[in-house]
Formats: sequence, C-alpha cells, structure tokens
Amino acid sequence: MKTARLATIALVLLVLITLGSGLYIVDETQQVIITQFGEPRGDAITDPGLHFKLPYLQTAHFFDKRYLEWDGDRNQIPTKDKRFIWVDTYARWRIVDPLLFYVRMTNELQAQTRLDDIIDGATRDAVANHDLLQLVRTSNREVTVDPDLPEADLATGLAEITTGRTAIMDQIQEVAQARSVDLGLEVVDVRFKIIDYNDDVRQNVYQRMIAERNRIAQRFRSEGLGESSRIRGEKERDLQEITSEAYRQSQELIGKADAEASSIYAAAFGRDPAFYDFLKTMESYPAAFDKDSWLILSTDGEFLRFLQSARP
Amino acid sequence: MARDFIDLKQFQMKGNLSPRTIGLAVVAFLTLVLVFTSWYTVSAESVGVVLRLGKYSHTTQPGPHLKIPFGIDQVTHVQIRRQFKAEFGFRTEQPGIRTRYSERDFEIESLMLTGDLNVADVEWTVQYRIADPFNYLFQVRNVEETFFDMSQAVMREIVGDRTVNEVLTVGRTELAVSAQAKLQELADQYQTGIRVDQVILQDITPPDPVKPSFNAVNQAQQEKEKVINEARAEYNLAVPAARGEADQMIRQAEGYSIERVNRARGEAARFISVLEEYRKAPAVTRRRIYIETLSELLPKIGRKLVIDKDLQNVVNLLQLGKEGTNNEDR
Repeated sequence: MKTARLATIALVLLVLITLGSGLYIVDETQQVIITQFGEPRGDAITDPGLHFKLPYLQTAHFFDKRYLEWDGDRNQIPTKDKRFIWVDTYARWRIVDPLLFYVRMTNELQAQTRLDDIIDGATRDAVANHDLLQLVRTSNREVTVDPDLPEADLATGLAEITTGRTAIMDQIQEVAQARSVDLGLEVVDVRFKIIDYNDDVRQNVYQRMIAERNRIAQRFRSEGLGESSRIRGEKERDLQEITSEAYRQSQELIGKADAEASSIYAAAFGRDPAFYDFLKTMESYPAAFDKDSWLILSTDGEFLRFLQSARP
Repeated sequence: MARDFIDLKQFQMKGNLSPRTIGLAVVAFLTLVLVFTSWYTVSAESVGVVLRLGKYSHTTQPGPHLKIPFGIDQVTHVQIRRQFKAEFGFRTEQPGIRTRYSERDFEIESLMLTGDLNVADVEWTVQYRIADPFNYLFQVRNVEETFFDMSQAVMREIVGDRTVNEVLTVGRTELAVSAQAKLQELADQYQTGIRVDQVILQDITPPDPVKPSFNAVNQAQQEKEKVINEARAEYNLAVPAARGEADQMIRQAEGYSIERVNRARGEAARFISVLEEYRKAPAVTRRRIYIETLSELLPKIGRKLVIDKDLQNVVNLLQLGKEGTNNEDR
C-alpha cells in the first residue's frame, strides 16, 4: 500500500519532469532550433506558442527574431580627398537562418564581433573610396537662397555629387550583407549616425567659415557705402535738374512776357513815335533833376522868352 | 496573502493540525493566489498586450481584466496614448524619460556637417507615440535606442543635403518637415510601431567659435541699412526743399510776367488815351505838357541861373564844380 503510493508519486514526478523537459514556450520575439546530441534537427521553429521536443535527448536553442541592434565605434577614417573624419555607424540586422547561424556563430556575441569586422571594413572601404562631399550630401537638390544674403560670396557652393550619402550607405549595406549571408544573418540597414570633422580639420573649417562670414560682412558694408554714394549722387543730379529746370522755365516766362510787353508798347507807341518821344522825354525830366542840379536857362528859350516881353 | 499566512500560523500555534485543517489552508491559499494572479488593470493611457504561452493572443483596453494565471497569460502594458519626447543636442534638466542620456557629450550629437561642408549646431526634439503596440514590442529589439539612432541619422542626412544658410535661416521649416517624413519612413521600414508626431527644431546656430562672425554679418547688414537710410534722409532733406525753391522761382517769373504785361498794357492804354486827346489839338497840348513839366520840374531844382541870350562863356564865369559848391554851402 505504502510502496504503491510512493511509486505513484515517483511516477507522477517523473512524468512532470519529462514533460518539463519536453515542453517549451516560444515567445513572439523568439525562434528556436532543436539539436540532438549537438546535431541540429529539423527546421527552425518560428511559431510562437507551446512546443514539444524529445525530452532529455534534444536541446532547444533560443534566438531573437526581431531586428537587432549593432552600434559601431566612432572611427577616424580618411576620405578619398584625404580628409580625416569621424564616422559613427549603426546597423540593424536579424537572424534569418537560425540553423546556419547556430552552426557558424553559436551565439549573438560572436555575431556582434563578426559584424564589427564586416561592417567596419565595408565602411572604411566605402569612405576611403569617396570624397567627403559624396558622404555628406544625398542629392543634387535645388538650393533655397536667402534673398538677404549674397550667396555668390559663399566659396563652397554645392558642387554636383555623383553618388551621395544614401547610395554609399546602401553600398555598405550590400557589401556587409553579401559577406554575412553564410552566417545565417541579414544586415538590413547600415547608416551613418555621425560624420564629423576631426578636431584639427574642424578648426580649419571654423576659420574658413569665419573668413567667409567676414567676406559677406565686408560685402554688406561696401554695398551700403556704394548705395549711399549712389543716393548722394542722385541727390546732386536731382538738385541740379530741379534748379536748372526752374531757371529755364522762369527765363522762358520772363522772355515771353518781355516780348509781349514789347509788342504792346510798339503797337501803341508806333501810332505816333514823335509824340511818344516828346511825352517820354517830358516824363523823364522830373526824375532826371534834383535840388543839387544846376539849371541854366537862357532868356531866349521857350520857357523864359516871356520874361523879356509879353509879346510872343 | 499576508493575512492568509498569519492564519496558518494561528492554526499552527493552536496545535489543531488535523490533515483536514491543513488541506483547507492549502486550498484557501491557492484560491487567494489564483484570485490575485488572474486579474490585472490597464491604466487609462495604456493597452495591455496579452501573450498566451508566448503567443500573441489579444490586446485589452483600459480597465480591469481577467487572465489565465501561473504565467500562462503574460501582459505587457504599452502606453499608446502618451506622447513621448526625445531631445537631441541638449537635455531638459528635470529627470524624465530621457535622463539616461544626460551624461553624453551633447556637442557630438548636435554638431553636424552641412552640404557646403560647413558645420551647424542643430538641436531638435522628436515627439512620438506608439501607434502599433504589437510591432513596438515584437519587431525590433531595443526599439527606443533604434529610434534615437534613426533620428540622428536622418537629421544628419537632411542637414547634409542643405547649405549652412538654409539650415540656419530660410530652410528651417522645410528641414523639420523633411526630417519628420524621412524619420517616419524609416520607422515604418523597421516596423517599430512608432508614429512620429512632430520633429521640432530647437536652436539652430553656427558653432560657438563661429558665432561672432555670424553676428558681424548681421551687424554689417544693419550698418548697410543705416548708411543707406542716412543717404536717403539727406536726399529727402535736400530735394523737396529744392523743389520748393524751384517752384518759388517759377512763380516769381510768372509774377514778373504778369506785372510786365499789365504794365505794358496800362502804359499803352494811357499813351493811346493821351494821343487821342493830343490829336485833337496838337500844338496846344504839346505846349501845355511842356509847361506843366517845367513847372513841376523847376521847384525841384536847387540852383537856377537865368542868363541873357547874348552872354558868352557862361560856364567859365560860373566856376562850376567844387569851389562854387563849397561857397554855396558856407
């Protein structure tokens, strides 16, 4: 009775342990391969849920099936045009063939190390094969120009590019992908997180930017002076034009008036020039003499002849 | 559960340890555990994503819910109604969702190359939401880190395709719009389940050592305006005044003309009137005018000398000039 009871308990325990060894849960984020004595058995299990394997004999190996991160070190790499730049890349990858991945890499840490080599190498090659401009720019887009700034002064305009940042990133991704195909993983995307000058170059660039700005500032100043000179010249010109125009008009007016007056006079006085002479002369006498003038009158003159005789 | 535990102890202390009591205690304990582990509450800003034996089962809305206990149902809460904010190139002081970045060197994050190989200091924030909790949880490992990497890569890519002037001034709005579109595109490509609400550009400045020279440009621009305005002021001071003077000159000439013509007309009319009368009696009129003139004239003349018609060399005798005048004065 008692032994039977113990046996039952032992049996139940055995069943439970066996079940525990045979059952396993695959999470939404996981994929599993089964090995038997180290040898992979069957396809990878990617369905999430409860699964069963042979207890004791088989082992389940869990791998992530999500996009996984890879973050490169900041590397100093010379470009094709011999500029040293810092390049910081990141990549996303995933395990597409867990069986192969298990055979080649065993675990994720191994894979990260291999990816370091593969992606860093591909990045170095790509950076060294392109000018800095190609690495920075993506397209030959039309540049919006600030109407206030004399853009022509900016020495480094946007030169044409032939490849461009996105295309280079794609190249790196393709190379990395090709090199990691037989590792059971897929490099989905490689991107430059940071491309930056190293400190020496950066100082030079700052100097250049400062010089460029100073040139623009200088340009503004001289534009200001030029424009103000132009306005002053315009002022002088306008003044002269205004004054001389007024002079011309007034002279014309005066001349016309003089002419008109002249013709009026001529028309009137011409009726009897002799009488005009006489009248005008008479009129001018009172103005011609004053109290300091001497007047010597002869007694045979018109005026005084009656002094001598009342008879005409 | 605590009460449950105490209850057990009480039973033990009383020493009434019949198998029945123990059995009851165990059942009570298990029931309590079952009750406490088979419901959960989803808070207002979240949804609950339920995995049953590791497999996605369903998503639950805010409120209390039942689940299968003992780890069969696992619930992950995802705050889909909350807006998150990531800061790049700077950090808000108060501890928030991004504090784990606060020890980084922000300049490395914010300094970037522009398309004309200059350097700009760009600070920005990204506001985002979790739009698809399933993708957010199950498609990308370390999804936030991925998203931040993407945000940086995108901003640099876009700034790298613009001139420093565009980035600093005219292109700002367009920059933010492009960054948002591009970031969303990448987020979709990776199936992050994240929706980018907005990319907001904060300070975009030239790098610190270059700043003074940028200010110098602004200053020069203002100087230019100033110099031009001064010249305009001079112009405006002189030209309208000259116009006034010119007008004055012309009006004066007009005045002269009117006067001149009127005078001529008047004088002509007067002459004609006199002439008409004269013609009626020429000799008398002529004599009258002569005598009238002289009688008007003679009182005005200070010194008069009447001489006989036979007298010769009168002028010599008179000693006209200085001496005579002097004698007269005395």
